[in-house]
Amino acid sequence: MVVANFICHKHKSNMNKFKKSKKPIAAMFASVAVTALMIGLSPALYSADTKSDALQSQTNSAPAQTNSVTLEAKTPAPNIVAPKTPLTGAELYSIHCNRCHPERYPTERTGAQWKTIMLHMQVRANIPVKQANLILQYLQDNSGR
Amino acid sequence: MKMTLKANRWMFGLVAAACTLGMTLTPCASAEVSDADFNALKEMVQKLANQMQSMQQTNLAAEQAHEKDLQEIQQLKEKLAETRQMATNAEQKSIEAAEAQQLPPRQPLDEATVNHNFMMLGDAEIQFVKASGQNAAFEMADFAPVFLYRAGDNILFEAGFDTTLQNGQNAAGTHDSGASTTFNLTFAQMDYVMNDYVTFAGGELLLPLGTYSQRNAGWLNKFPDDPLAVDALIPESGIGAELLGAIPLGEDGKFINYSVYGVNGPSSSDGFGTAGALDLGGNVGTTSSGANANLHTDPSGGGRVGLFVPFPYKPHYDVEVGISGQSGQWDDAGNYLWTAGVLDAALHLGPNFEAKGEFIETQYGSSDKGLVRQQGWYVQAGYKLAGLNTEIPFVNNVEIVGRYDTLLNAYDSGNATFYNTRRTSVGGIYYFTSTLLFEGDYEFYESNDPGQFSNQLVLQLSLGF
Repeated sequence: MVVANFICHKHKSNMNKFKKSKKPIAAMFASVAVTALMIGLSPALYSADTKSDALQSQTNSAPAQTNSVTLEAKTPAPNIVAPKTPLTGAELYSIHCNRCHPERYPTERTGAQWKTIMLHMQVRANIPVKQANLILQYLQDNSGR
Repeated sequence: MKMTLKANRWMFGLVAAACTLGMTLTPCASAEVSDADFNALKEMVQKLANQMQSMQQTNLAAEQAHEKDLQEIQQLKEKLAETRQMATNAEQKSIEAAEAQQLPPRQPLDEATVNHNFMMLGDAEIQFVKASGQNAAFEMADFAPVFLYRAGDNILFEAGFDTTLQNGQNAAGTHDSGASTTFNLTFAQMDYVMNDYVTFAGGELLLPLGTYSQRNAGWLNKFPDDPLAVDALIPESGIGAELLGAIPLGEDGKFINYSVYGVNGPSSSDGFGTAGALDLGGNVGTTSSGANANLHTDPSGGGRVGLFVPFPYKPHYDVEVGISGQSGQWDDAGNYLWTAGVLDAALHLGPNFEAKGEFIETQYGSSDKGLVRQQGWYVQAGYKLAGLNTEIPFVNNVEIVGRYDTLLNAYDSGNATFYNTRRTSVGGIYYFTSTLLFEGDYEFYESNDPGQFSNQLVLQLSLGF
């Protein structure tokens, strides 16, 4: 809406003016595109490995982390906030799949089929890869075979 | 010594004499047994003899029975041995059969899913339409297969088609005659997941102008037909390349997603910049003469940025908003721009309520009408009656839906006039299963376009697969 109105004010109904205003519009969309691209690429370039490693270590050390949380809860340390529990694959499945269509049962497909479908859905719904992988893991763990 | 031998001889003689007397005197003694005693004795002996004979016969019968029993026992033993052998053989055969029929062990997921995979998904719809002023009709609304081919972990090729039937015309063009099948390629794109945040897609892309074209078309929509503005104002697909991805914001499900793309873009049906010549669906990169060329100078560029926020600790409660746009030349000379901007939003309040909508505004320069500005929007909502927790049969499978949509300033080149259309749709969905659903709605039209549809009833049976 904002974009459209901006363009409208710029162009009005004068053809010549409209011709002249081509570059600002193109520049505006280019800037949006570049901004979006940078938003997308910057985490991949600078923090992808760090986040990936963090998640990996979090997964590997889950029991120890649970213990530490218990200890923190018993220790009077008001400034320490217990970390939020990451959403599980089942929860993400519940959140995302129902947004566009009735949920499909995991047993409807094989593990390999779910992998293909989730790759399709990941692109179609444009959801984060890690969330898609968690959903895939849930579907495969409960798949027909 | 001699005295001893003499004494023995005397004693031996005495013994012999005594024996001789005994033997000779005994018959004399027996002669004294009376006849009665003898007969009694004889009778007793006779009885004993009979008993003996009877016992011998009994014994013989017992021996015969015993012999028979032994034979039967022997036969039973043989049968038992045979049975055991058969059981052993059967067990062996069953083991062999089980081994032969045993399914391959479940493979670890990584091994089972790393290979390529081919699938067909899609949907099919059958409609019954009764528009006021028209005869009611059944129609094969759509058969839309989607083919997926996954090559490894992060490469996917996907293509979707729309198959529809429509009457043909007689040779004079005066009346419908025969029918033709239209088989359209809706999209065909290769997706390559480069990393967690960037995916490349190329081919005929479903454009992220709003979310309807990508996520709501076909059986996914809660109405049998598309919003007016989506059909009339923006292209569904375009030939080009796209970068897209999503960035999580924390661990509670929030994320931002983005898409940037370049496509050939809309074109002019006659090459000139007249307002009625705008063609949103052409310009696929190969001309009718076979040349590989864009119909205008530069391709169009566009993109979308969206924000998805699930409500904390409430699955099925979420909101998504997005802004998207596309701009580029559309006439052959490249004198005029076509530009579209779309705002989209979707809201889920629990598993039973959904509302979504889009606002679309486009404008393009033209040689005859100047800047043509068009607009349209839709908002729709659905509520599944399962949320009422009633025990009434079938009610839990029903969803009631409503939609309001507009198309403003649509240009009719035939009449060189702009028209406005508003439509209100109310109806419902009955879910036979999660993929087989019956949709029905009544649509009320309000339009100054004489060629616009009148009010109509649309019933549709949809199957997603």
